[in-house]
Amino acid sequence: MNAVSALVRRYIFIENPSPLVRQLPTVIIFTGAVLLVLLLPDLDFSDPTAAAAGVGGMVLATLLAVTFSVYTPTTRVAIIIPFIDLFAIGFFRMGTGGVTSLFGGMIILAVVWIANQPRRRYIVFAGIATSIALTLPYTIGGTPAQNSTDWLRGVITPIVFACAAAVINEMSRQASGRVQAIHELAEERDVMLRGAVDYAERLSENEDRLRAADRLTRSVLDAVTEQSVIGTDVTGLIDVWNPGAEKMLGLRAVQTQGRRFVHEFHVADELLARSAELNYPPGETVLNPGFSALVETARLGTPEVRQWTYMRADGTSLSVEVAVTRRVDEHGSTVGYIFVATDVTHALEVSRLKDEFVGLISHELRTPLSSILGYLELLRDDEEHPLSDEQVQYLGVAERNAHRLLRLVGDLLFTAQVGSSTFSLDTTVLEIAPIINASVESATPTAGNAGVALSASLPDEPLYVLGDAQRLGQACDNIISNAIKFTPRGGSVTITVAVDGSAVVITITDTGMGIPEEELDQLFARFFRASTATRAAVPGVGLGLSITKAIIAAHHGELDVESEVGVGTSFILRLPLTTPAAVPAS
Amino acid sequence: MADNLKVVVADDDEDIRSLIVIAVRKANLTLMADLPDGSSALEAVREHKPDLVLLDVSMPGLNGLEVTSAIRADPELAKAMVFILSAAVDDTAVAAGFAAGADAYMTKPFSPNTLAAQLTALIASTASGPTADVPQPPTQ
Repeated sequence: MNAVSALVRRYIFIENPSPLVRQLPTVIIFTGAVLLVLLLPDLDFSDPTAAAAGVGGMVLATLLAVTFSVYTPTTRVAIIIPFIDLFAIGFFRMGTGGVTSLFGGMIILAVVWIANQPRRRYIVFAGIATSIALTLPYTIGGTPAQNSTDWLRGVITPIVFACAAAVINEMSRQASGRVQAIHELAEERDVMLRGAVDYAERLSENEDRLRAADRLTRSVLDAVTEQSVIGTDVTGLIDVWNPGAEKMLGLRAVQTQGRRFVHEFHVADELLARSAELNYPPGETVLNPGFSALVETARLGTPEVRQWTYMRADGTSLSVEVAVTRRVDEHGSTVGYIFVATDVTHALEVSRLKDEFVGLISHELRTPLSSILGYLELLRDDEEHPLSDEQVQYLGVAERNAHRLLRLVGDLLFTAQVGSSTFSLDTTVLEIAPIINASVESATPTAGNAGVALSASLPDEPLYVLGDAQRLGQACDNIISNAIKFTPRGGSVTITVAVDGSAVVITITDTGMGIPEEELDQLFARFFRASTATRAAVPGVGLGLSITKAIIAAHHGELDVESEVGVGTSFILRLPLTTPAAVPAS
Repeated sequence: MADNLKVVVADDDEDIRSLIVIAVRKANLTLMADLPDGSSALEAVREHKPDLVLLDVSMPGLNGLEVTSAIRADPELAKAMVFILSAAVDDTAVAAGFAAGADAYMTKPFSPNTLAAQLTALIASTASGPTADVPQPPTQ
């Protein structure tokens, strides 16, 4: 690019030299002429005044050339300089012999300058000015022309100079055109070069950004040391293998990237079982069925989390939870998959220990309760040794509390099952009325003892839900017994059943102490007890409602509460309606 | 007829075992042995070839499910009915009991009177023929 610019500057200099540069040859020659006249005895000033005028004109022209060169080197006004030169040379010629002067030829230097102008009219100007300069001895020199030859000298010579000027002008024009063309080409090339440089800079910036993004991605992947992150192409060939994968599976990236398939780290039987679940045709009809089974859900666009077993390089196995997501290109097409695996060995062990603990606690508490309740029953039913009324009353207290403890154990066990998602439903199509009636019937003695009026209003037509009769009964029992427990003597508990759209709505309303609004959000949390219950010393541990909520949620229903302190509480239980012909869900 | 039916009871809790024995007697069954562990219970079953075996699940030595499986695997003991009494109340435990070959499953705590009634009903239903319905005990 610098060479091109230098070339362009060079041509610009040639095309448009400064006025001083143009003037220099004329000044040098003119100075030489003056020195020759001054130094050579054979030469002298025939008309010192005219010669002085010529020298003055040359000095003026040179001063103008210097001025223009310094301040406005490209001004067109500088064209007056060669015309001044012409007249200066004309006067100098007139002062050094007139028509016989040796120095008339210097005019050619000024003519060349004028002829070098781009327009043809300067040829005429050059001719006219030359003619005037050469005829100065006749016009103002006081030596009139002696004959027609003298006049013709003032015409022929200018014509010759004009022709020379025309040739120079044309050559100058052509040269100027070529220079212009070169200039334009150079400009175009310069523009293209600048574009190329800009493009290269942008490419470099993009490359830097890509490198930064790559470094960031690599840093993130390297920072994940407790999870394996494995990337593959669409065939399962591994192309990403982070330090977590190295740690988890015992192989380095260079041993797996481009060399191993991700499904090679899975237990074959698990992949086969998953293939069977997905109804893959057996054998070769599905390309790479093991890998297809791994990514089937993700391939359809839905990320999937599933438990698998990884096989390490040393042959040992590892229980993992693997999240599989799809990799897409800029057009949204699948280009591979990402497998993020978490070691769940510890979590599974904790879950197993928890189950064991719950089972142990359940067993260890229920066994002594079995003895207590069994022997109390034997005592009460001993016909050979009947108990007094007072003893029967004491026995009743003991039995009631043993049953209370039994319920608590049951609630704890069920809560643990809900927490570990291990409780199941025995789902059938149920009519809701018998469940409500059973709960009401079961709660009636308690309500009677508490002085609370218990009533239920059921619709005439049968309403069906898909559910577990025992669990739904447990849910209704919990809410109704709670309502009775929190309602003071003289109050009421009302149960209504209605249909709202596609749901059956069971509302249990009491006129009890109510629940503060700010506590309603926590009401279904495990072991939460409302402040009103605590103040009133109502017994309980705060598990019933959390269990009820879990049961209703497992039935795809909703449980809501509305309450006002001092007025009462309503629990609204919604369950999806079904028809008697509905097929029970698994 | 019921007092001719032989019964073996096994439970590692002595108090519970006594309670079961009382229920067995209320049902007019003949108690052949009551034992605190599964291994000795299996030996007693092989020795007495009882009509009914009442087993706890969680016991030292062989557990109740292993004893049940062993009984079911022995053709000489084919006529023995197995009644499991367990504190394990979850569906999985109940299913495991029936999968091992139990004829009935009752969860603890239980009423001795109810257990006696269930035993009587079970014996009666079995005596009435192989296709008779076996009453399922309540889970609570």
